[in-house]
Amino acid sequence: MSDIQTPPCVGIIANPVSARDIRRIIANASNLQTSERVSILLRVLTTLAASGVERVLMMPDKGGISAMLLRSLKRERSQNHQFPELEFVDMSVTSTVNDTFFAARSMQQAGVNAIIVLGGDGTHRAVVRELMLGTQAGKKAVPIAGLSTGTNNAFPEMREPTITALAVGLYATQRLKGTQALAQNKVLEVSIDQGQRRDIAIVDAIISRDRFIGARAIWKTDNLEAAYLTFADPQVIGLSAIGGLLEPVGRTETGGLTISISDDPGRCKFRLKAPIAPGMIADIGIAGFERMPAGQPFSVALEAGVIALDGEREMPFDTHEQVSITLHENAFQTIDVTRCMQVAAREGLYIHQPSRLS
Amino acid sequence: MQVQNPFPLSRDELLTVYRQMRTIREFEERLHIDFGRGDIPGFVHLYAGEEATAAGIMHHLNDGDRIASTHRGHGHCIAKGVDVVGMMKEIYGKKGGSCNGKGGSMHIADLSRGMMGANGILGAGGPLICGAALAAKYRNKGEVGICFFGDGASNQGTILESMNLAGVWNLPVIFVVENNGYAESTSRDYGTAVDSYVDRAAGFGLPGVTVDGTDFFAVHEAAGAVIKRAREGGGPSLLECKMVRYFGHFEGDAQTYRAPGELDDIRANHNCLKILGDQLTAAGIISQSELTKIDEEVMVLIEHSVKEAKAAPFPTLADLTTDVYINY
Ligand SMILES: Cc1ncc(C[n+]2csc(CCOP(=O)(O)OP(=O)(O)O)c2C)c(N)n1
Ligand SMILES: [Mg+2]
Repeated sequence: MSDIQTPPCVGIIANPVSARDIRRIIANASNLQTSERVSILLRVLTTLAASGVERVLMMPDKGGISAMLLRSLKRERSQNHQFPELEFVDMSVTSTVNDTFFAARSMQQAGVNAIIVLGGDGTHRAVVRELMLGTQAGKKAVPIAGLSTGTNNAFPEMREPTITALAVGLYATQRLKGTQALAQNKVLEVSIDQGQRRDIAIVDAIISRDRFIGARAIWKTDNLEAAYLTFADPQVIGLSAIGGLLEPVGRTETGGLTISISDDPGRCKFRLKAPIAPGMIADIGIAGFERMPAGQPFSVALEAGVIALDGEREMPFDTHEQVSITLHENAFQTIDVTRCMQVAAREGLYIHQPSRLS
Repeated sequence: MQVQNPFPLSRDELLTVYRQMRTIREFEERLHIDFGRGDIPGFVHLYAGEEATAAGIMHHLNDGDRIASTHRGHGHCIAKGVDVVGMMKEIYGKKGGSCNGKGGSMHIADLSRGMMGANGILGAGGPLICGAALAAKYRNKGEVGICFFGDGASNQGTILESMNLAGVWNLPVIFVVENNGYAESTSRDYGTAVDSYVDRAAGFGLPGVTVDGTDFFAVHEAAGAVIKRAREGGGPSLLECKMVRYFGHFEGDAQTYRAPGELDDIRANHNCLKILGDQLTAAGIISQSELTKIDEEVMVLIEHSVKEAKAAPFPTLADLTTDVYINY
């Protein structure tokens, strides 16, 4: 059986404002220019066309990506280069994260086979959050494939977009089955006052004693209180690197990790240096850490503060509010590019015979 | 129980910031009315809707720090500490105004406050601020220069040349793009080839940040980082503040280029004063009645400034030849 829709259709959500935050000032973090984002999209589109994907549904934006992409496509098509049919989601652009939510919802509704996301951890989180809501409401799960154009990028792996697009093409055109192409991922569910307010993180939920959102990106370490991690990779940048260098936890390994952070000499057991942002090696006081088994809520001890989700301050909470964080496994699917390409090579999916008829 | 202040400013500072933003808003709302009545000579471009950006940046500055403003400069003036009565007199073209009534809205300046002037020429602030910043660099007291310009003015050659010069000389300059989406009636989407100003800056080796210019705390934090960097010798950078314009490009603009419902949405959902007021009251450190009291005091101040402006005399023929040249 297959619930893959025909003809194959892939969604693309490209965040025009990822990697524009304050970390460029305080840590020389890189800035992927709009023109470079558009070049990536062109490479993805030609690769999808070569893979047999006939339709692409894309999020429109007013940050310059869709405008520049359309200009470029006109130029490319006049040279007879092949592209899938490109359609933009019918929506009014607000230039806020609501655009990502709306586009992800529409794409899931439209039955796309997969969504390619260009952005950092924050963008991926927004897409996943919306898709999970859709799945809970009975819609079919849609796997995502991440392309890193953000700052922290613990979630999307660094890889040439052409290869990611090839893997997406293999799955979208049913040359690979879900069992071969997809990986399961964990999320952290953050709940305030038994679900009065809820959100998710796909890499890290960080508790800070700061109490305002401000410029969003979390970059000061003085006020950190605790970290909750879905996975912790020692080769990854961002606050999850604290866990990565303390007690690595794999993406597909069961459970997560929680860390208590403190500079208070009474609580701090030892100090750890970790690359918490590009070029920023911070010295963190560790008060303790433990594995987080799935499904078990962990209460946040801090009375009032702000919760940063995947690198951005999102949820302030007050003294009268109770925060709890729970790790869930098998929460959403990603295209496992490494495995897709290995299977494709092993099964010779890209080998084809010269036609004897021509 | 004592409520803890969650913000990076003290309670008194927060009240001052709110008062400043409210003063800009009332000043502009009043000009909107008085201009409509035909009381004001010349042209006015109103800053209403954009207050959080001026206040968030200027909070980090002292009188020794220079700013180069724009044609939409009233908010910059007020946030930089220029006297409101003097400004009102200036806009009314009266003696005793910031420039003795000879400049009007687009030439208000007060060097004692580091306010180098509003400017009717788009993009003119770039070269001016490079000069001020070069002087600051020689004085070596950690002073900085801020160049404000709009999304439209960002396409002027002078701005691009200035970014290059600031980069070459490692000047303590912050280029602030006040991106309200329009240059007169031309939308930014139409008029700008690459829509990211951070990309522009990168072309000159300057780091850039984009923030929500309607959120005082977002602007304040990002401005703090770029200004600190410049003061410490880290050199120039760019800050893009995304914001909304409450009124037309100039007073009298029918705004037929706006989408249906756009202005309603702006006023309902992107009112930076309401956003700040809500943040302060929600945190429980400032009450609504304290804010209302400030609102009332500001109304009195603006009313007083208009009365003074109306009562003041016009410059005379003899004033024409004064303040033209200066001896150093
Ligand atoms: C060199 C120059 N060209 C044209 C004008 C006419 N003009 C005045 S304001 C304006 C639009 C400015 O748009 P923007 O820079 O976005 O600032 P905003 O008015 O939106 O604050 C134009 C074209 C001018 N004053 N100077
Ligand atoms: Mg403008």
